[in-house]
Amino acid sequence: MFDAVWRNLPYLLAGYWVTVKLTFFALIGGITLGILVGLGRISKRKWIYYTVTFYVNLIRNIPLILVIFWFYFVMPIIVGRPMDPFPSAVISFIIFEATYFGEILRAGYQSVSRDLIQAAYSTGMTYWQTTRYILVPIAFRRMLPSMITQSIVTYQDTSLAFVIGLPELVRRTSIVDGLEVRSIQLFGFVAVVFFITCYLGSIVSRRFEVQKERGF
Amino acid sequence: MRLAYNFDWGVLWRAPYGVWLLQGIWLTIQLGLIAWIIALVLGVILGTMRIAPWPWVRRLATAYVEVFRNVPFLVQLFFWYFAGPMLFGQTLMFKINAISGLNYYVAIVGLGLYTASRVAEHVRAGFASIARDQFQAALSTGLTEIQMYRFVIIPYALRIIIPPLTTEFLTIFKNSSVAMTIGVAETTFMTYKIDSETFHGLEATTGAMVVYLLIGLGVVKLMGMIESRFRIAGLVGRK
Amino acid sequence: MIEIREMSKWYGDFQVLSRIDEVIHRGQTVVVCGPSGSGKSTLLRCINGLEPFQEGEVLVDGVSVSDPSTNLYQLRQKIGMVFQRFELYPHMTALQNITLAPIKVKKKSREEAGKKAMELLARVGIPDKASSFPANLSGGQQQRVAIARALAMEPEVMMFDEPTSALDPEMIKEVLDVMIDLAKGGMTMVVVSHEMGFAREVADEIIFMDEGKIIERGTGEEFFKNPKSERTKDFLSKILI
Repeated sequence: MFDAVWRNLPYLLAGYWVTVKLTFFALIGGITLGILVGLGRISKRKWIYYTVTFYVNLIRNIPLILVIFWFYFVMPIIVGRPMDPFPSAVISFIIFEATYFGEILRAGYQSVSRDLIQAAYSTGMTYWQTTRYILVPIAFRRMLPSMITQSIVTYQDTSLAFVIGLPELVRRTSIVDGLEVRSIQLFGFVAVVFFITCYLGSIVSRRFEVQKERGF
Repeated sequence: MRLAYNFDWGVLWRAPYGVWLLQGIWLTIQLGLIAWIIALVLGVILGTMRIAPWPWVRRLATAYVEVFRNVPFLVQLFFWYFAGPMLFGQTLMFKINAISGLNYYVAIVGLGLYTASRVAEHVRAGFASIARDQFQAALSTGLTEIQMYRFVIIPYALRIIIPPLTTEFLTIFKNSSVAMTIGVAETTFMTYKIDSETFHGLEATTGAMVVYLLIGLGVVKLMGMIESRFRIAGLVGRK
Repeated sequence: MIEIREMSKWYGDFQVLSRIDEVIHRGQTVVVCGPSGSGKSTLLRCINGLEPFQEGEVLVDGVSVSDPSTNLYQLRQKIGMVFQRFELYPHMTALQNITLAPIKVKKKSREEAGKKAMELLARVGIPDKASSFPANLSGGQQQRVAIARALAMEPEVMMFDEPTSALDPEMIKEVLDVMIDLAKGGMTMVVVSHEMGFAREVADEIIFMDEGKIIERGTGEEFFKNPKSERTKDFLSKILI
């Protein structure tokens, strides 16, 4: 029944590996940058706040495809030579997803009561120490469900790197489809792969949400 | 720093590129608006089904939401466009594929179906935030469940969820860009097209960004007006 | 009017109501009191079918509430209910709150329903607030609108679930006055409340409930002066100053 899929499985799985790699780098970079973005959005210093807010509002209002294109066109100019789709995609995703993670983190930071932070300061800790040992750990646990959900979104979004020719799963599937024209099987397969992985992810996220209710 | 690139912002308005861009923008607006109507109607129905007293109705709606949420929109679009016609059997398939502008219709319907699953979740959350006693108060005056939903609960819930719906409305315009992958000549597609002719994709893309920003502002403004018109006195609005 | 026979209710394994037996006659006012969690609110909701129960019978004017062939919607038209948190529809004016059910359920015309609604608003003392939204009304005013809303369906019984518990002290009197008026006018009433002053004045019977059971029944001063059970004494000593 799924013969077109079996025939091309190695090719498709190699594409899935690219999907996974892209997701991985996008998440690491996106969350790291996101932490800074989140902090920037609650910063008391005007120039940090306005710069970061401008960046966040800009990115959140435009489609990801456009950001992917933009970096694909921009990077060669800066670097001086044409660029490989993978690094270009990674950078686009990091810049894009950081804004979403940043907002989740900001909401998490703001949910930690001011009194708790002031208690930490009153024992003599600096801003960075308080942030590192008190604020981030507590906020992080609160935000875990949303972070997982956003990670699943990032994973789904990797399919958009299709447009710059990145050989991830969806692109490879459409290439195979061009040859085999067994669209129902092939795209059905991709849909099922994503469905199973994302559904499992959402169950994990819900598990953490329950814990959140009980815990801190 | 000397960049090996000559900026040419004229691509944004020089004919024929400027015209292309405008045509693309027009298509983006069409895609977004029509799909939004589909998404709203279907989404409210699904969201209400999610809290219906009959288990099989709830399960049906939940299944719909889970399927459409867990598959990337691009994959959904490809499925409907490439595999969709095949679902109708050989003869119909050829007829369907021969429809001109098929990708346009598929894009609108696909976008509507996808967004409906998200609207359904917001609707469900809206219902969940209404106190149980409010339902009981309505029922205690003799209203049937359907009357209660129609006159009390749904109008109330819709007003509560205007902020998340605004985000969803914004998102639908952003997602319309994915339609370019099946050849719909909307804004992002035109950006790509301009680049392939002029190699000035950077300017075109920047221009497209501005377009989406403006659409975004329009949406926020529009929903803000709707929110004030239907404001429930006393409920906390967006800060 | 209302007969409850050996009614019991469970939420899963937890027994909320245990073998409740009670008869309420037409024109009587019955006050139900007891600690929180004693099942008082649930009892009310079982009477008008908002909550199901597993054992026993509840008859309203001879009609069995748990009988599957009973039309609950018609039944509820006969029973008016007032809630602790008022539960006015926030997106409608006071007038609209009151006229919704008469128009949609009793098929009255807008004019007819509106006229009756204005009469009721006058009766509860706030005819000038007809076009105000709940958010612009004080708690006491909202509760009075809620009472008018329940009365609009011309019920034969009125049930109150702690109607003054969510009110600021200075507004309790205005709501109780309306309720006393209703009771003296002959309405059959079941009131869950801790307002013992109200109970003293109009209650024909006072019931004390704890842990889902009726512990004690009494009338007027007897109940307050000579409570028979220890638990009743204990409860009364806590709420009576």
